[in-house]
Amino acid sequence: MSLKLHNDAGETLSGPKLVWQLIAGYRSMYLWAALALFISTSFQFIIPLIGSATIDYVLTEPEAGKTANSSPLLRYVMDLIGGEELVSTRLWIPLIAMVIFAALGGLFNYYQKLAAAKASDGICKRMKDQLYDHIQRLTNRYLDHDTQTGDLVQRCTSDVETTRIFLAAHVVEIGRSVILVLTVLPIMLSMHVGLTIASLGLLPIIILYSYLYIKKVKHLFTEVDEAEGRLTSLVQENITGIRVVRAFGRHDYEIEKFEKPNSEYRDTSLKLINTMSWFWSISDIVSLTQIGIALIASAYLAIQGSVSVGTIFAFLALINMVLWPVRMIGRILTDFGKTSVALKRINEILTQPFETETDDISCKPDTAAQGSIELDQVSFSHSSDSKTVEDISLSVSPGETLAILGPSGSGKTTLMHLLLRFYDCDSGTIKLDGNDIKTLDRSYLRAQFGVVLQEPFLYSRSIRSNIQFGVSQANQIEIEEAARMACIHDTIQTFTDGYETEIGEKGITLSGGQRQRVAISRALLRNPPILLLDDALSAVDNETESSIIQALQSRRGKSTTIVIAHRLSTLAHADKIVVLEGGRITQFGTHKTLTEEDGLYQRLWNIQTKLEETLAAETQR
Amino acid sequence: MTNPPEEEFQSKINFDLWRRIFRFALNHKRLLIPLAASAIVLSLIDAAYPIITMMAVDIVHNGGVAKDLIPPALLFLGLSVTLAALVYVFIRCAGGISHHIAYDIKRDCFKRLQELEFAFYDKQPTGWLISRLTADCDRLSRIMAWGFLDVMWGSFFVFAMTITMLIINWKLALIVLATLPPLIAISVYFQKRMLLTSRLIRKHNARITASYNEGIAGVKTTKTLGRETENLNEFEGMSEDMYSASVRRAFLSAVYLPLVMLIGSVGSGLALWYGGLDVLDETISLGVLVAFISYAGNFFHPINQIATILAEIQGAQAAGERVMSLLATEPKIKDSPEVLQKIAQRSAELQPATPLQDPSTQIATLAIDGYATHINEIQFADVTFSYNEKEQVLKRFNLTVKRGQTIALVGPSGGGKSTIVSLVSRFYEPDSGEVRLNGTDYRQRSLEWLQGQLGIVLQTPHLFNGSVKENIRYGRLEATDEEIRDAAQLVNAHDFIMKLENGYDTTIGEGGARLSTGERQLISFARALIANPQIFIMDEATSSIDTETEKLIQDGMQRVFDGRISFVIAHRLSTIRSADQILVINKGEIEEQGTHQELLANRGHYYELYVNQFRREGETLAIEEAG
Repeated sequence: MSLKLHNDAGETLSGPKLVWQLIAGYRSMYLWAALALFISTSFQFIIPLIGSATIDYVLTEPEAGKTANSSPLLRYVMDLIGGEELVSTRLWIPLIAMVIFAALGGLFNYYQKLAAAKASDGICKRMKDQLYDHIQRLTNRYLDHDTQTGDLVQRCTSDVETTRIFLAAHVVEIGRSVILVLTVLPIMLSMHVGLTIASLGLLPIIILYSYLYIKKVKHLFTEVDEAEGRLTSLVQENITGIRVVRAFGRHDYEIEKFEKPNSEYRDTSLKLINTMSWFWSISDIVSLTQIGIALIASAYLAIQGSVSVGTIFAFLALINMVLWPVRMIGRILTDFGKTSVALKRINEILTQPFETETDDISCKPDTAAQGSIELDQVSFSHSSDSKTVEDISLSVSPGETLAILGPSGSGKTTLMHLLLRFYDCDSGTIKLDGNDIKTLDRSYLRAQFGVVLQEPFLYSRSIRSNIQFGVSQANQIEIEEAARMACIHDTIQTFTDGYETEIGEKGITLSGGQRQRVAISRALLRNPPILLLDDALSAVDNETESSIIQALQSRRGKSTTIVIAHRLSTLAHADKIVVLEGGRITQFGTHKTLTEEDGLYQRLWNIQTKLEETLAAETQR
Repeated sequence: MTNPPEEEFQSKINFDLWRRIFRFALNHKRLLIPLAASAIVLSLIDAAYPIITMMAVDIVHNGGVAKDLIPPALLFLGLSVTLAALVYVFIRCAGGISHHIAYDIKRDCFKRLQELEFAFYDKQPTGWLISRLTADCDRLSRIMAWGFLDVMWGSFFVFAMTITMLIINWKLALIVLATLPPLIAISVYFQKRMLLTSRLIRKHNARITASYNEGIAGVKTTKTLGRETENLNEFEGMSEDMYSASVRRAFLSAVYLPLVMLIGSVGSGLALWYGGLDVLDETISLGVLVAFISYAGNFFHPINQIATILAEIQGAQAAGERVMSLLATEPKIKDSPEVLQKIAQRSAELQPATPLQDPSTQIATLAIDGYATHINEIQFADVTFSYNEKEQVLKRFNLTVKRGQTIALVGPSGGGKSTIVSLVSRFYEPDSGEVRLNGTDYRQRSLEWLQGQLGIVLQTPHLFNGSVKENIRYGRLEATDEEIRDAAQLVNAHDFIMKLENGYDTTIGEGGARLSTGERQLISFARALIANPQIFIMDEATSSIDTETEKLIQDGMQRVFDGRISFVIAHRLSTIRSADQILVINKGEIEEQGTHQELLANRGHYYELYVNQFRREGETLAIEEAG
């Protein structure tokens, strides 16, 4: 089931409602965890009571007259383990009883921890999966214009982590504290009301104190984080630019520059440490005072004869079990706001619409397309003030090659994005095999194209998987064939691990040209009806370029090819050439017609003549 | 972008290594001694609390009156106040040591990194080094301070409790202590397991982050490949792994804590059993029994702490080794003892000179190492060089360049062009053969002096986050604003700088992010020039720079090269054409050498390169003009 963290008006929920929605689907698991915790705590509280009962009924001589003051609870515990007559001759019985209760308590404690972890981590896993899924299906308008990669990643990682800590540590801790107090209260109250008040009276003060104190010094934590951030970015900058540092012999200067953030980080940290040492010291003394009060008060009451010796023992043990976890609550509460913010940021992604959300008709033909493309008066703009492409009409028949030429910003890449429906055109129609692409299923549409983007993206895994992507059943022969056509096979062979060579962070870095060629072989392996190459040979050297073009030529007739290029060598072989300037088609024709027509294409063509003239002139000199 | 920290676990503790690391803590004895003292006193106080309980119980049990409770109450109060004060002291001291050590280690590492040669940086990726300097250093300093505290406190606490119990009643003490060995064994085992699982979680987490990065950066490609479902399935596999590891971590702690609590209750039960018998025999008081039951339950905490630290030390050992080995790395390229001696001699000669005499007149003729300051000639004599054993980059390379000449280095990438300039700069030294300045092997000259004579413009110039002015001043720290402006004017950077929002004071963002490649190159050009270098090295950008800026750079270059020795790794035709000598470098050898005309006439590799570049530049220009 999917996460819904907002109300019907689209606002992110807050407070308990938010938590309630967050744990949807796992509520019963949390309930079981709470129940198991309750049982386990009860068992654990009985352990010291066994000691107390033994002290009161067996180890204290009846004539001392204190036993009479022992509480009914201890009486019950004594009866539970067999009664004083039995125990007084067999003192190993309390040992066995303690071990049994410890084991039972441990068992339920184990259940509780596991259940809580499964719930918290399960919720986070669900959230991560959902985010990943959602991001892949967001509209390109959102991805390209409304957000930044860094910010998105930040939300998917740190904000999810904040939520995870909240669920796995904070919610569990608070739940534990509440259950501890709720369980210990009736036990203590049944033994002595006044002593209970004396023993737990400072607890609210401790919680309130830590909440207020930490809230007040919270800014110090932020300051330390910021100082650390400054230090890290200086180190990062220095090491990235170490060659410049060395080139100018600036090491002394850099060491001096490093001194400031390094000592700033140290000094803000020390400031925080000083503040925190006051905090812990005060917190400790209040906590210890609480224990001291309990000890002296219970001893006093015992002297008065209102409680038994066993009760002193019981209270001390119980307070020790409750006090230390509960005193953390105040600190945890100060972190609550962080989680709301994190969830809000996560929810902002999850409420973005899918790109398919507005699709009404999804026609999904069974067979691959023929490859005829028709654009009719297509216009599109990213923003309202200017048109990115305007009134574009052209057609490509199956098997034909169309080349698009134009300066940067003329709308070439946008045209490609429109074909793939990364964006939908504002007016006009684009047809594939006569069908308006807006009526086609997006995944069907995209499957008809083999695309090589301007800056090809390769995944950080092996070269083989990168080429094989999308065609998982391809065998080695087919992969190699595609790589040969893209003139990358020989290069791959020179790598130690061949096709299994890892690319990216863990592996080797490919050059721009190599990346382009891997991407081309990936597109070719899919054997698509239409091949789209967006300046895909720009980083490839001339020799390789011409052999790739030759390979593509040999495929001619097999697939429609649309190629965006800047070089005459790539353009010249096309059946049709379009010159795009300022979002409009300014020239249209073939190599032959365009060389005779005044315009950009002719100017490119003239470079060859100019080259020959220059060569002649320079070799003569 | 930083690589996840490496995750090793070494079960054998390298004491020598930790002793060396601990030296950093010993530098802060002012904090270390109070820390140790407070840890010890604290453990004694912690061990004393059950005695107060014992006193109170005995008073009650023996029919005391309320007034008798005053001594234990006062004792309790006294101990608590002392304890709180000690808590204050140890947090301050441990925190202080931790951050002082972090500061010291980072400073030393950073210093060392500034001195190391290029070859070192070739081997170590940036992200790797950054994690050494941040994560590793922080981790070590934390262990040094807090680990020290925990071990001191824990061992003294256990020790004090043991002694106290033995004194009060040695038989009962031995019975309670019998629970210690299993407690220790279980704690050590589980802490290690938990540490390893935590690391596994971090590793999975790093993979998930990388996967998000990839998913977002490659979203268009994913869409075109129609790979959304497979990607999601793979991602779900990763998040499932993380989920399992997290649950496993919870499982370990869910088993560990009940287990040690069980052992604790066995200890308490044993104390109750045998102690109870003694109470009935009246060999011990009820208070002693109560104290022993408390002690039996108290062992868990210190032992858990020590086990945690032990696991952390084992886990951080690799980090320790990395940091210590970084600190122990000696720079390979540095002044020889002879050169250092000459420099000392020279500065001694300069000192006694009559103070009224302007020292600059002396410096003008002789450098700090006693040789002439003017570089009239650079000569490569039979230079052989390789980055690693496998392949030689330069083979018996010979070249002589005279003052005023410009050398253009052309050829395919990886052919050895940048190696030549790196050798000139003495970022690397030849494996065999010599690089000579005015006929003297540069290894006999001062490194600092030579590098002070260099002006270098890299292909992708790295600028620092700061203002334009600061970046140019990097070339000569004492340059005035006027000189900065002059340098900028000379390389044609002035006009575009003035067009920036705050002129020379405009901040340029991390790595110069707010500027185009061409603009960055212009600024780095001015930065190189401001030091008035005798040797100028330029690696032309291959990526396209807009025609306007390109012209400005070309124009600036001609002016800057005048009167210096210049090496240009050249891609642009105009640069190549105007060079005095062109070297076509391929596969570590000079394939062709000569002037533009000579080489064209050869119709060799150079001719080919030239024709291609001519077309490329022409096409780019034509298309850009249309835009």
